[in-house]
Amino acid sequence: MSRLNMPLVTALLLLAGPALAAKPPAPPPAAPPIALAIHGGAGVIDPAKMTPDKAAGYRAGLAAALDAGYAVLERGGSSLDAVSVAVRMLEDDPQFNAGRGAVLNQDGDAELDAAIMDGHGPRAGAVAAVRHVKNPVELARLVMEKSPHVLLVGEGAEEFALEQGIVLVPRGYFRTRARITQLEEDKRAAEARGGAATPQGTGTVGAVALDRSGNLAAATSTGGLSNKHRGRVGDSPLIGAGTYASNDSCAVSGTGDGEYFIRAVLAYDICALVQYKHEPLEQAVNEVLHGKLTAAGGEGGVIAVDPAGNIVMDFNSVGMFRAARDAHGRREIAMYRDR
Amino acid sequence: MHAIAIHGGAGAVPRASLSAQREQRFRAGLEAALDGGYAVLERGGSSLDAVATAVRILEDDPCYNAGHGAALTRDGAVELDAAIMDGKQMRAGAVASLRHVKNPVDLARHVMEKSRHVLLVGPGAEEFALEEGLTLVPNRYFRTAERLEQLQAEQRGERVSELVPATQGTVGAVARDDAGNLAAATSTGGMTNKRPGRVGDSPIIGAGTYAKNGVCAVSATGHGEYFIRAVAAHHVCAAVEYRGLALEEAVREMLHEVLPALGGDGGLIAVDHAGRIAMDFSTEGMFRGARDSNGRRDISIY
Repeated sequence: MSRLNMPLVTALLLLAGPALAAKPPAPPPAAPPIALAIHGGAGVIDPAKMTPDKAAGYRAGLAAALDAGYAVLERGGSSLDAVSVAVRMLEDDPQFNAGRGAVLNQDGDAELDAAIMDGHGPRAGAVAAVRHVKNPVELARLVMEKSPHVLLVGEGAEEFALEQGIVLVPRGYFRTRARITQLEEDKRAAEARGGAATPQGTGTVGAVALDRSGNLAAATSTGGLSNKHRGRVGDSPLIGAGTYASNDSCAVSGTGDGEYFIRAVLAYDICALVQYKHEPLEQAVNEVLHGKLTAAGGEGGVIAVDPAGNIVMDFNSVGMFRAARDAHGRREIAMYRDR
Repeated sequence: MHAIAIHGGAGAVPRASLSAQREQRFRAGLEAALDGGYAVLERGGSSLDAVATAVRILEDDPCYNAGHGAALTRDGAVELDAAIMDGKQMRAGAVASLRHVKNPVDLARHVMEKSRHVLLVGPGAEEFALEEGLTLVPNRYFRTAERLEQLQAEQRGERVSELVPATQGTVGAVARDDAGNLAAATSTGGMTNKRPGRVGDSPIIGAGTYAKNGVCAVSATGHGEYFIRAVAAHHVCAAVEYRGLALEEAVREMLHEVLPALGGDGGLIAVDHAGRIAMDFSTEGMFRGARDSNGRRDISIY
């Protein structure tokens, strides 16, 4: 509850007081705890390079995706639709490392990965190493809904896209001036280090949601690492690693050092702790991120939501682009630990 | 204490339709892989080397759906997936959608040991293979007459019961070495008549392959999509670690409760920190073998 609403709440309680005293209250109809959280990536967001203009741009992009996804939930839509809508908007926003504006691999191409998971079922769809699909999260959803498979990769995934009537786009669609410059810088830096590249993986996007029917969903989309080896697939499209949802436990979308998330089966591990050790979501996230991931030497963050609508957004990196909105009036957009 | 278990896939090969001669071929392949992997452990080698050795032998055996003799895609090509995981350092390597790598498990190990990555797919993974000095082979190296016959039957909507079932035959191994280190590896050609680009659970860490020292090592076979949704291999280890289930019970629960609820079937082999082996399946059979330093050595199909 934000401070702004407190006087109003106090006033309402005062007004209700006599009535409550007269008649024992029936429990108020529980507000359906819809909730949505999104991220635009964790990692090296150097505060010194974050100009007010840039910050405003990122915030606007996050706000647009957050509100569009939330509007789906508010009108009774599914969590699956909400996370799809939010992620698609972030894919279309060139500021984030997914869809248009994704980072470029060593060959100068965007190679995109995405996954979506419906906590009801559960069922899942994912695609990896696609180079001509405008909105990978949509193709992931088609894999889930229109194929018996979960994961399709590369040209086979694009063949499936065509069969589903998706229009492919040329590779140039994804490339932005900023990412070309970034690739050039990363290549120079890699050369200076004798070829041992430590590419940056910031900017992955994702969303988790709870809808009025109590269904959880998660989606994640990314271009991966700048200057990455062709064919490298990170955690985002791997069910259990970067994306996971089950109505029995929680929905999680991750961002960060993908290889560490894969080895830790990180998203699923959080949900396993919730389901089997009955840990509160916040504690499970804390244990996995600040305990296991930090100990393994990995950096990143996650957003997560549980069936009660509790949202957790946490990271062990400098910052994480993130936003959350729920039925209790919470609406926040943040980049660093405290803002 | 050292122990190894291997599988050559779970599925419904009806007992009646498996000729004695064919069964002998399958058993001989399992024996070679089991003893090959066990020999590594016996001379003090690592569990990682043991599972790599056992899986490589099964990849080279045309009876099994991995490497040479793998199932064909709907286009008549072979597309291979594999993963390996080292429970000691929690390192992992995996490859998917390969068309020209003779031993995918070897490339998975290169990914683990020589790259910063865990999963490489498609032509990019083969580029990495070349960078690592591996020799590529033509796709026809993998294709056998039997698999072609199986593909054609599948495309006509028939079943060829004499062969390894269309969806199964994946190979895998789990091991515990004298130092207490656990490792797992899995390799597959996936489903017969599969869509090019389809990737199953085998190369996905946590789904078809997982190893964590002190807990367990798991390799799965079966209908991959269900194993992915269930995060099956990690789920088994989580049941052992978080709920204190015995390995055998954790494996049983996955195969006979979790997966059936989703509609999936298959099999799992697993070994825990104490070298206890669990091998179970919800299909009619699973090609499997187990051997340990207490003198156990068995090979079975049903």
